[in-house]
Amino acid sequence: MDAQSYHPVSPGVGTEENFLSLDDILLSHQRHPVRTECAFPRLGFLDRSSDSEDLPEGTKMELPLWLSKGLYERKRRVLSVELPKVYKEGWRTVFTADPNVVNLHKMGPYYYGLGSQMLHFDSPENPDIAQTLLQTFIGRFRRVMDSSQNAYNEDTSTLVERLDCLEKALFRSGQSGLNGFQSWEKGRASQLTASSLVINYRKRKMADVQA
Amino acid sequence: MMFCEKAVELVRELQRLSDGQLPAFNEDGLRQVLQEMESLYDQNQADVNEAKAGRSDFIPSIKLRHSCLLRNQRCVTAYLYDRLLRIRALRWEYGSVLPANVRFHMCAEEVEWFSQYKKSLASFMRSIGGGEGLDITQDMKPPKSLYIQVRCIKDHGEFEIDDGTIILLKKNSQHFLPRWKCEHLIRQGVLEHVLS
Amino acid sequence: MDPSEVEFLAEKELVKIVPNFSLDKIYLIGGDLGPFNPGLPVDVPLWLALNFKQRQKCRIIPPDWMDVEKLEEIRELEKREEAFTPVPSPYYMELTKLLLNHASDNIPKADEIRTLVKDIWDTRIAKLRLSADSFISQQEAHAKLDNLTLLEINTIREFLLNSLNCMFKLRSNLQAGSSGRTFTDY
Repeated sequence: MDAQSYHPVSPGVGTEENFLSLDDILLSHQRHPVRTECAFPRLGFLDRSSDSEDLPEGTKMELPLWLSKGLYERKRRVLSVELPKVYKEGWRTVFTADPNVVNLHKMGPYYYGLGSQMLHFDSPENPDIAQTLLQTFIGRFRRVMDSSQNAYNEDTSTLVERLDCLEKALFRSGQSGLNGFQSWEKGRASQLTASSLVINYRKRKMADVQA
Repeated sequence: MMFCEKAVELVRELQRLSDGQLPAFNEDGLRQVLQEMESLYDQNQADVNEAKAGRSDFIPSIKLRHSCLLRNQRCVTAYLYDRLLRIRALRWEYGSVLPANVRFHMCAEEVEWFSQYKKSLASFMRSIGGGEGLDITQDMKPPKSLYIQVRCIKDHGEFEIDDGTIILLKKNSQHFLPRWKCEHLIRQGVLEHVLS
Repeated sequence: MDPSEVEFLAEKELVKIVPNFSLDKIYLIGGDLGPFNPGLPVDVPLWLALNFKQRQKCRIIPPDWMDVEKLEEIRELEKREEAFTPVPSPYYMELTKLLLNHASDNIPKADEIRTLVKDIWDTRIAKLRLSADSFISQQEAHAKLDNLTLLEINTIREFLLNSLNCMFKLRSNLQAGSSGRTFTDY
């Protein structure tokens, strides 16, 4: 295995974001339903379904998480935030019954991340959401681990497709541990290899030339 | 239409190349983000003046635009910072001389930053190792022997080894060379380490 | 940690060799080696033993535990016990691989030994996965890693640490809703 020198800023996971993490920026770009609790003068264009100049109180629309977080205040409420449906009670029951049947990529792909972030907004359901997130992770852990460890030279794409972003990152770290061991076993661990970055660059250059 | 879409596009551009490749510096994208920030700022200035004159109903809109300003700032900072992480990695993957196609993807400030990084790494390496200096970009894996067998993957021309002998690195030729002399060429994909 | 680094550490383990040459004691930073006399067994680090062996300067005497009967016992015990049993060497896997690859002519029943050690490894790794899973599902706070070797821990380290980190964050969520925090991220 080739050690990489590029280490991106890792995501915060949970309620806190890492300011410079690309993952967290894309996570906080996820949209969710809100309702305006006051008027926003001169910002009517934010709601595509209307052509009035102002954004009136009571408008139902979708906002990215970063904006709801920026606008949300407990004292002076300008927005009320609605839960995306995967975190509502109906889906929570499904997750509790068997977390392994759910396609978290389709439901997410930031199921844990967005769920944790939604806890920022006051809601009586928060304790249940937090509990479901944790139990879902625990319930799916064995499968993520086993597949990442047995997956060498096997087609894992269907399984990986169903993983949430966070699980996918775990899967990759499990695989790199296994691959490292297996290449050691085959006596290739001490072999000096070309930088994968250099090779990928060359591939791209070739593709550019052919294009 | 939503604010900050351009800024997120910058971030996505990097995220798509998760192996650490450096895409071309997106000057145009960056300029568009800065333009959006300017116009957000101007609109907020105008609304702040109105709010001061009694239109307190403008405050939510001011706050919204302010959030967008901060969001744009975060995206741009993260974009520039992540590029620096990639540029730093290039020093370790390619060595101190970058191929032209990689160098062309940097803006002038990044080229400058790279050369500063190179310098500070070099002076650090000179300062350690008991006065003799130590190349810490070598021996990334524990060495098994001082000499290794290598095969040329492509023509690289003449190459001088320790004792002053010059050998010709010709495609498909095999050589038995000091490990420390080859390690960088192997990383760069010029030579291939042949295991006995 | 890269497995090649673990192997590097294993190469410092002492093994017994029977040299076929004479050489006075040599003094190195890592310790003194020798003296070497033909036919007289002497302890040297593995890296040197392999170097001599490759140059046909010695015969390597395999460690006591590298023996079919002893390994069979260990394998049965490992299968029977729920916890990890003590291994014969903290580098049993690395020593086996290096010695069998470079000095199999000095090791009786080399193939059987290879299979046995691999069986022991597989059993232990399966146990490791099982205990990692119960560690997560029971939401334990600490675990004993007694009798695990560096190479074993190394294959799962990154995965396990990342998983524990995720679990910690998701657990902290349980308290998050009530704390009334302010936002600093955008």
